[in-house]
Amino acid sequence: MILHTASEGITFAKKLENDAAEFYESLAQRNTRDAEAFLSFAKENKKYIDQIERAYYGVITDAIEGGFAFNIETDDYALRVDIQEEADYADILEQATEIEKTIIKFYSDAAEQSKSLMADVPRAFMMIARKRESRITRLAALKP
Amino acid sequence: MALLEEPIKEVKVLKNYIDGEWVESKGEVIDVVNPATCQTISRVPISTAEEMDAAVEAAKEAFPDWRRTTPLARSRILFRLKELLEENFEEVSRIQTQEHGKTIDESRGETRRGIENVEVACGIPTLMQGYYSEDIASGIDEWVIPTPLGVFGIIGPFNFPFMIPLWSAPYAVATGNCVIIKPSPEVPNSQTRLAELVEEAGFPPGVWNVVNGEKAVVSRMLEHPDVKGITFVGRTSTARDVICKKCGETGKKYIAQASAKNFMTIMPDCDIDRTIAAMMTSFFGNTGQRCLSAANAVIVGDDDAFYEGFMDRVVEQTLKIRIGYGLDESVQMGPVRDKAKKDNIIRYIESGIKQGAKLRLDGRKNINITGDYPETCFLGPTIFEDVTPDMTIASEEIFGPVMSVIRVKDLNEAIEITNANRYGNGNSIFTTSGQSAREFQYNITSGNVGINIGIVAPMAFFPFSGMKDSFFGVLHTQGQEAVRFFTESKVVIQRWF
Repeated sequence: MILHTASEGITFAKKLENDAAEFYESLAQRNTRDAEAFLSFAKENKKYIDQIERAYYGVITDAIEGGFAFNIETDDYALRVDIQEEADYADILEQATEIEKTIIKFYSDAAEQSKSLMADVPRAFMMIARKRESRITRLAALKP
Repeated sequence: MALLEEPIKEVKVLKNYIDGEWVESKGEVIDVVNPATCQTISRVPISTAEEMDAAVEAAKEAFPDWRRTTPLARSRILFRLKELLEENFEEVSRIQTQEHGKTIDESRGETRRGIENVEVACGIPTLMQGYYSEDIASGIDEWVIPTPLGVFGIIGPFNFPFMIPLWSAPYAVATGNCVIIKPSPEVPNSQTRLAELVEEAGFPPGVWNVVNGEKAVVSRMLEHPDVKGITFVGRTSTARDVICKKCGETGKKYIAQASAKNFMTIMPDCDIDRTIAAMMTSFFGNTGQRCLSAANAVIVGDDDAFYEGFMDRVVEQTLKIRIGYGLDESVQMGPVRDKAKKDNIIRYIESGIKQGAKLRLDGRKNINITGDYPETCFLGPTIFEDVTPDMTIASEEIFGPVMSVIRVKDLNEAIEITNANRYGNGNSIFTTSGQSAREFQYNITSGNVGINIGIVAPMAFFPFSGMKDSFFGVLHTQGQEAVRFFTESKVVIQRWF
């Protein structure tokens, strides 16, 4: 599905964050040793949703042109969030890394497409993308 | 994309809000219809002149106590209203979409701008400070006190059912006046919900009133000796021939914001991508039902290759616009508010064809609705080329998604034809040349001027201006000018022996 409007972009960002949070919550139950790290990721995801919504609702008056800001195919950012029973821990961490890379790509692409039309929403997108970069390092550090 | 949940779920008969009470009207009741679904969502009373009298009486009674309430205390109630509006942001936005048809992004933008006016009015303790001169003569001091006047009437239009009354009402009550809001009967639900939040915020009874209706209540408001002033947004004919005339006869202050025909000048040196994105929202956003919508695209220069290439891209982008019910987040253009308005727009399209304009894109046929909705109020975007300024489609307000493209040889000609139009609401230029931009801004006769801005909507702390037949009055809504409008300067000169 193609996203066109700012509203659609925000809703899709929320879906990505919620899906990823559910993934980390499941992972925390499965791997109790690193549960704290995964639960903190899930909690951060919810904070990111608040940040994006705050940016969007705060500037939507000026972001009316956001109605024509996006041309994003959601299939390009599909997340694999189901955890296979038989998967070993290293594979699951790789899966988490892929999730993070996909979400970073979405935020970067969405920021690029909307930056000429409004300031705050792409700025929030880019800030979250940057913060997520550190997760990739943290996930790598968890590898057995 | 799934449809967002509709906030209005059952058809209720709306009530008036008078003296802090929700009061049933004795007037006849008419349906309020969602233009996307054609379903009745509520029923609104056409109140009587006596009901307007009751509201004026309540407001007049409330005024002395409200005036004595300190500006700081009044601003605290406005702060509570702002918080309630934030908490209910999504619901009030969806109500606008449900009753008006605009997209959810547009409604959220409308809500935000409404709240911004409440935020600005929260600063009333400093905004309405007077000024003082010591020793204007030996031992004599002089000062000015901005003083509230009493009861004000606020008459809202159909195109921004939530926001436009908030260009006035927060400033009116912040300065110590009492208000009566008369919403458009086509879209009354937003003001009903707003009044519920006003009640929750703790405004004393009679300070904020809502009377639904049409001509009878407006006439009574205009005639009533206890109404000290009116703000109005609507057609020029009503603004000039009714509002100004009646307010003049009865000695009321007035702000009358009226019709528009906005020209967007496009220079050959413009940033094409950004100009086209801005054109989409300016011409077709809110389905062209903004007094700041661009209507005429004035393309400067005789470079046919530039023109053809530019127009091909405009048409290509326009064809991509997703039309449908605004509660679907993927939709970029909703329906026109009602069938009569659609028919009126179609008459203009027919007149354009008759007068020789080239119909590049026909919105009568080009209606690809996303979702299963009746075509009744939907129109596609229309683009005319080879338009001349004397054509009806180029000179009169259409208030719909119609772009008329006029070619001119240079910037001077663009300014000349823009200034020759009777309206002067929101005109803009798209260019990368500072010199062209300054030339345009300096010479254009327009209340609001955009430089690389498609919708020239002033922020809440700036006046919403207008010139020529687009505005009647002296002061404007929003910001400091609204504070001045809702107060009179009381000048005190003092000497003590």
